[in-house]
Amino acid sequence: MTLTRREFVGLSVTSSAIYGLNSKAPRFLVNAAEEAQKQDRVLVVIQLSGGNDGLNTIIPFHHDEYRKNRPELAVPADRVLKIDDNLGFHPELTGFAKLLEAGQLAIVQGVGYPNPNRSHFESMDIWHTCQRKSGQRHDGWLGRTIDQLQNDPSSDASALHLGQQKQPFALTSQQWRVPSVRSLEQFRLQGNKNGQAETIKKLVATSRPKSNELLDFVQSSTTTAVDVSQRFKEIGKTYQSKAVYPKSGLGKKLETVAQLIDAGLRTRIYYVEVDGFDTHAQQAPAHEALLREVGGALSAFTTDMIGQGQGDRVLSVCFSEFGRRVQENASAGTDHGTAGPMFLAGPMVKAGLIGEHPSLNDLEQGDLKHHTDFRQVYAGILEQWLKVESKPILDGVYDPIQIIKS
Amino acid sequence: MINITQLDPAQAWSLYQPESPDGWTLRQAAHLYRRGGFSANREQLEQALTLNPGEAVHQLLNSAEESVSQYETLAKTMLATGNANNLSAWWMYRLLQTADPLREKMTIFWHGHFATSAEKVTDPQLMYHQNQLLRSNALEDFGSLLHDISRDPAMLLYLDSATNRKAHPNENFAREIMELFCLGEGNYTEQDIRELARCFTGWEVRANRFRFNRYQHDKGEKNIFGQSGEFDGDAGVDLVLAHPAGPEFICRKLVKFLVVDEPVPSVDLIAPLARQFRENGLQIGPIVERILSSKLFFSNDAIGRKIRSPIEFSVGLLQSLEVTTNYFELSKRLADLGQKLFFPPNVKGWDGGRTWVNSSTLLARANLVQDLLDREETRFAGGGMTDLCDKHELHRPTEIVDWLQTMLLADELSPEVRSGLVRELESGTDPRERRLRQVVYLMCTLPEFQLG
Repeated sequence: MTLTRREFVGLSVTSSAIYGLNSKAPRFLVNAAEEAQKQDRVLVVIQLSGGNDGLNTIIPFHHDEYRKNRPELAVPADRVLKIDDNLGFHPELTGFAKLLEAGQLAIVQGVGYPNPNRSHFESMDIWHTCQRKSGQRHDGWLGRTIDQLQNDPSSDASALHLGQQKQPFALTSQQWRVPSVRSLEQFRLQGNKNGQAETIKKLVATSRPKSNELLDFVQSSTTTAVDVSQRFKEIGKTYQSKAVYPKSGLGKKLETVAQLIDAGLRTRIYYVEVDGFDTHAQQAPAHEALLREVGGALSAFTTDMIGQGQGDRVLSVCFSEFGRRVQENASAGTDHGTAGPMFLAGPMVKAGLIGEHPSLNDLEQGDLKHHTDFRQVYAGILEQWLKVESKPILDGVYDPIQIIKS
Repeated sequence: MINITQLDPAQAWSLYQPESPDGWTLRQAAHLYRRGGFSANREQLEQALTLNPGEAVHQLLNSAEESVSQYETLAKTMLATGNANNLSAWWMYRLLQTADPLREKMTIFWHGHFATSAEKVTDPQLMYHQNQLLRSNALEDFGSLLHDISRDPAMLLYLDSATNRKAHPNENFAREIMELFCLGEGNYTEQDIRELARCFTGWEVRANRFRFNRYQHDKGEKNIFGQSGEFDGDAGVDLVLAHPAGPEFICRKLVKFLVVDEPVPSVDLIAPLARQFRENGLQIGPIVERILSSKLFFSNDAIGRKIRSPIEFSVGLLQSLEVTTNYFELSKRLADLGQKLFFPPNVKGWDGGRTWVNSSTLLARANLVQDLLDREETRFAGGGMTDLCDKHELHRPTEIVDWLQTMLLADELSPEVRSGLVRELESGTDPRERRLRQVVYLMCTLPEFQLG
């Protein structure tokens, strides 16, 4: 499978030329192009790395077991941002509370998978690949998704990873190299020699009769890097954000995503990460700051997208590899647990709580029991939002959770 | 060519004794230095050819005792700034200057294995102390290394184990010692983790030192891997060390670090190394020596079959072309490439292999080289690239490109790519020095240079 994406810039120019010329271009062409872009729904995945303490995110503030198990860490009932009579957001999640009030946030409770693994790396791999360790892990669920979504090598990359960390396994595809972008400023070749990028591309693209898989991989990755850096040179100059983003890492990343969506990039999946949720000690201040960051950034991003007229085609989803132990430890922290909530944001979501809060009276090894498989949420995203068949991607049939307004 | 998945394990790890002169050339010698160190200049490569491969490996393992005082003095200056970024630059400098490259290479291995980040451990003194601990144990006894690291303040702070009370033990360190440091996921139960965590209760860090607080230690009976006893922390570490899964776990990781990124070697292939490691009492040096002097190591299944880490990429380039430059600026850029020393991404360290490569890190690699070549302080053998060519009596463009290939690349370029580079050198109106640098730049952006 060739991964070369030459002529990539050429094609993108064609579609923007149609927009630019809409007074002169035949109306049906303009409509077709607009329609195509509108249907290109976008998914933004926000990974909360380290294991988010779901119990202190969506808080059962009246529950005796909650107070009993969390003498240091329980949030007082009068401080939570109430969702209903029993549950409330952590007080720092004003961003989420605002989204919920506007009907733009869905909270899927009690999400996990059978026989939970409490290793960060193993559990993350399970969420990324939908495979246990014994299975074959060649690619990730989003990699398999873009294998279905993209068949035109000359279009923009179907998925982009924004961040400095190594690329998430979820994005590994058999057919495509997903670009990782740290920031738009960093993402270019330095040096002032004219035609440098073309020279590199030519040498890199030259055939290598004695190649091997590793060399092929680096070769196609280099071609992607140079192509995407050239494409990025042209964009982002007209973008004006319609919301105030917090000056946090996640705020900056989501603002970049907004800029790319606004620029008309045909990318369908964006992936960002926030690290630091592994709160084994002195959890309260760290967790508070993280929730503030996530809530603030996601609420600004959603508002911005709506303001840009893109709201209806953008869905964001937050997940973490596991929740945390119900009982706090002696370092005023919590150890690795199991089930936790997932969050979906955007004007098209079926807003509100989905599913029950996992029971605090019926634990397994001190951990919450899941009642919803994460693949049911993935199935909802794939079938209802990205409009692709979920079975081959998830390697099985999972009853989709209704996450989009019907 | 040998197929690594079908290799006879005994053959694979037997001593490499080339039968003809083309089995021990500059190519194999450069491979040895890239893996057992970072790279080598031409004189070092030619010196290696006066030995046989086994002797060259032995020499790497028995480098003359380094005069460390210069590094220690420099480290004190760096530490006085209280900024761990300066410590990264310090280590970079040491990597480039060292007379004991294998020890530095293995110190990086253990730094990734027992990953601890200055992002969280904000006192650089503690990071430096851990670095010295890793260096002095890098090729010695794995058991002592594990015992030492278990009491290392930087490690305990990093894994939130600065306090550990018996009422509700913190499981973080107990989990990682089994999952990441010794056994691998799947070789223990959640119950083993909870019981082992009880052994470590009372282990604390106070005033930057390890302390045992006997009032917080759980003296009760624990049950770990089916054995019962009133184990304390050291006994817990010994139980983990005695677990049968340990030697294979460590040897597998060493093979990945020193020999091949992929495919994943079979259990059978690792078995002879694991057996030797167990039988020799977990001595690291002899295993590393056996790996580096093996038939598999010098085969085409190993040469060029690893993606260079950012450190191997940058330090390797500098050593091969006898470069001196501004090490602070260089080490600052390594974060963009994905490997900032003293700042591993998480407790699992750097995954290596394909994860080093994505569009951002590839652009950052190209930009690092561009910056290096544009920088006024950069010298090649004390002068320009022209001087380096003169020193090695390289005149014709083909001679220069071929010399650079030998020094920089594990595998030969295809004829088309080679002639493309020769044309860059022959044509154009730029001064010769500029064209030479342009060729070095282009070579470093090639997929071939990303493999080591």
